[in-house]
Amino acid sequence: MNSKSSNGNKKIVIGIVVLVALIGLFAILYNVFREKPVEGSKSITIEVVNKAEEKTSYELKTDAEYLRQAMEEAEGLTFSGTESEHGMMVESVNDETADYNVDGAYWGFFVNGEYCNYGIDMQPVEDGDVFSIIYTVGE
Amino acid sequence: MEPEKYKKNRKLTVRDMTLIGLMVAILEVCKAALSFLPNIELVSFWIILFTVFFHRKIFFAIPAFVLMEGLIYGFGMWWFSYLYVWPLLALVSFIFRRQESVWFWSILSSVFGLFFGFLCAISYVAVGAADGGLRSGLHAGFTWWVAGIKMDIIHAVGNFVLMLVLYNPVYMTMKKLVPTYFYDCKI
Repeated sequence: MNSKSSNGNKKIVIGIVVLVALIGLFAILYNVFREKPVEGSKSITIEVVNKAEEKTSYELKTDAEYLRQAMEEAEGLTFSGTESEHGMMVESVNDETADYNVDGAYWGFFVNGEYCNYGIDMQPVEDGDVFSIIYTVGE
Repeated sequence: MEPEKYKKNRKLTVRDMTLIGLMVAILEVCKAALSFLPNIELVSFWIILFTVFFHRKIFFAIPAFVLMEGLIYGFGMWWFSYLYVWPLLALVSFIFRRQESVWFWSILSSVFGLFFGFLCAISYVAVGAADGGLRSGLHAGFTWWVAGIKMDIIHAVGNFVLMLVLYNPVYMTMKKLVPTYFYDCKI
């Protein structure tokens, strides 16, 4: 009786070991053969200057056509705002909100030192661009 | 389980058809109820349990279930995979129907979940092969399978845990109730 039960236990343990080994094998196959994302072809920099005038830079390679997608791809950069027919009006960057109604503050967007003429959904991204997102208080 | 005298009687009765309808309903409801959790499903669990208790009747319930799935979600490529994937699970469960170990069924259900994508990829191999030759078909099937391995692992873990947790209570309840189906007696 005991030997039967220990035999059964042995089979269960073998079964579980085989299952875990199979899962491990599948995980290896996944990591080796899955389609890897192709690195983007444009190198850009996004700088964020917050209210305290601290600068944080994000360097990334991207295929994004417009700034919004590039911002979404930038690791560690978070932003939110209000959607409108012209795209997103950015209100918060890295959890810091600029409220124009309170003190005339807004997030100013610059490309290569020039003020952006478009919203983030329309602002084109080109290789080597440096975007600056600056907390600005209106006069 | 199914008594000998029922095994000899191959004709489907109205009662059998009702039972098959109930099996399909349970499969559909459980699938819909867990559809918000990717690859966590109770269909494998029920197909195994129904096969253990009702044997060949599951082979009537599965086509009805697969047809319902197609009518609800559309007849995509995945649908053709369902035509052989679920019957295969029932067939394997039928072979091992005398097993009562919760660990055995948990492992079997988990292995099935792990190989689910692999089995479904056979359809993609067939379509790819018909389109551009066997080599192209194998490449299409392999690429499709590998892309979904992460989901297959979730499927395997989900199936294992669900069977481990649910098998004993459901098995014991069914063991008590199923004789009333076959012998018309009250418990």
